[in-house]
Amino acid sequence: MTSVELKNVSRVYLGQSGPVYGLSAFDLRIKEGEFVCIVGPSGCGKTTLLNIVAGFEPPDLGDVLIDGEKITGPGTNRFVMFQEHALFPWLNVSQNIMFGLKMAGIQKRERKERTAALLRTVNLSDFSTAWIHELSGGMKQRVALARALIMDPEILLMDEPFAALDSQTRDMLHEEVELVWQRTKKTILFVTHNVREAVRLGTRVILMTAKGGKILREYPIDLPRNRFLEDVEVVKIASQIRDDLRQEVLRASMEEGYHVD
Amino acid sequence: MSIELEEQSDIAKVRFLAQGYHAWRGRAARLGFFILLIALWQIAASLEIWNEVIFPHPKEVADAIVLGMRDGTLPLAIEASMKRLCMGYGISLLIGIPLGLLLGRKRLLDDTVGSLAVGLQALPSICWLPMAVLWFGLSETAMQFVIIMGSLMSITLSVRDGVKTIPTLYLRAAGILGATGWRFYWYVLLPASLPAIITGAKLGWSFAWRSLMAAELLYVTSGIGSTLMMGRELHDMALVVAAMILIITIGLLTDRLIFRFGESFIHRRWGFDGRD
Repeated sequence: MTSVELKNVSRVYLGQSGPVYGLSAFDLRIKEGEFVCIVGPSGCGKTTLLNIVAGFEPPDLGDVLIDGEKITGPGTNRFVMFQEHALFPWLNVSQNIMFGLKMAGIQKRERKERTAALLRTVNLSDFSTAWIHELSGGMKQRVALARALIMDPEILLMDEPFAALDSQTRDMLHEEVELVWQRTKKTILFVTHNVREAVRLGTRVILMTAKGGKILREYPIDLPRNRFLEDVEVVKIASQIRDDLRQEVLRASMEEGYHVD
Repeated sequence: MSIELEEQSDIAKVRFLAQGYHAWRGRAARLGFFILLIALWQIAASLEIWNEVIFPHPKEVADAIVLGMRDGTLPLAIEASMKRLCMGYGISLLIGIPLGLLLGRKRLLDDTVGSLAVGLQALPSICWLPMAVLWFGLSETAMQFVIIMGSLMSITLSVRDGVKTIPTLYLRAAGILGATGWRFYWYVLLPASLPAIITGAKLGWSFAWRSLMAAELLYVTSGIGSTLMMGRELHDMALVVAAMILIITIGLLTDRLIFRFGESFIHRRWGFDGRD
């Protein structure tokens, strides 16, 4: 089992007008095989949360536990998909996908076999020798997904990976991610500002506060798979979350206004 | 093939031909311009406004080149210069690239050695010549030392700056893909810095070339710079201009043959200018 647990995690940044809480006394338990989506207004600490779980930034206080063990930095049991593809321009598509295996010292033949299989999974077999700049945005993210999957991480961390894509491409990638999750039962932590995307994908949606880095509310999503962005139930839950989000943004800006006075 | 596709491929062909036409037109314009320049030179020389000793005729210069090539003095001079250059510049690359990679990554090293490099960069390398002659005598080593001091800093600093501007995203991706230790330097940092390395190598080359010419001009031994100086001492302006033309030609040829190759490699992989 691979669970993620954040215990009393805080991270403070020094802003122009005093300390800004990325996260404060943040508690979260993610069970094995859960698909948790984090939403919140911009600047609420979503990305901080993801960076801390990934091990890119250490928390100022508190611990992140994976299967009960404290993390000290990036590790191969977690893999991050970034908003921008982060593929290496000096390698072609298949070299990018197999890079992690090469670093792990896996034989060339096995690398090639596994890469070919994943290229088929993301429907990019015809582009195995293309350079990254020759691909469209959606294709790049599919390569990034393949590069993540080949590492076979227990936990996938996704930082708005589809935010810069057109809606059709995004729909297709939602289906691919959903399929991968159903097949492999990986634990996924997905950060997005798109509420409907969160409801369409997640087993649980977490709404963060606008300031202060805390959880505002949680929404279990017990809808059947496979879902679509246009499903009535998805839209219904999403609009409720969006209302809560709107109120939160309003409340935060009111509070700020009083502070100024 | 459908009619539409055929039409499309025709359009593609036309576009391809048009590109070729533009390239050829560019070359023709360049050639024409230089012919015009030589013609103007010819006219100015035949008007005999200036003394022939200080303003040579194009034909005399051409004769000087042909004669020098035939009697072997010019090839010998070129060989001597290129040998020094390749040694000195090669050593600069071998030291400069790894050093630049390290400086870009290690803060303490950059604060110390890096600032020394910035300081030395401000010193024209020919200023090292007196010291070099004192240390190494009037030898090839002294010349190579001046070339190294001229090109090493610019290569090191270009590579360092390149490393510092590698997107954090690549470095993070490298970390989670398990590229650590020497693997990180070899498989990530080095290729990610390739655009900067090409820029640095090009800059270093031009500094090396200038340093060498300055050194050869000051201390007559052999080489193209010395040929130029010899021309001055013999009041043979045709030889001086011939040597200058040779220096320009070699500079341009290296740029065309070596660095264009590197740049097109980057262009193919990165897309446009290596900035992804």
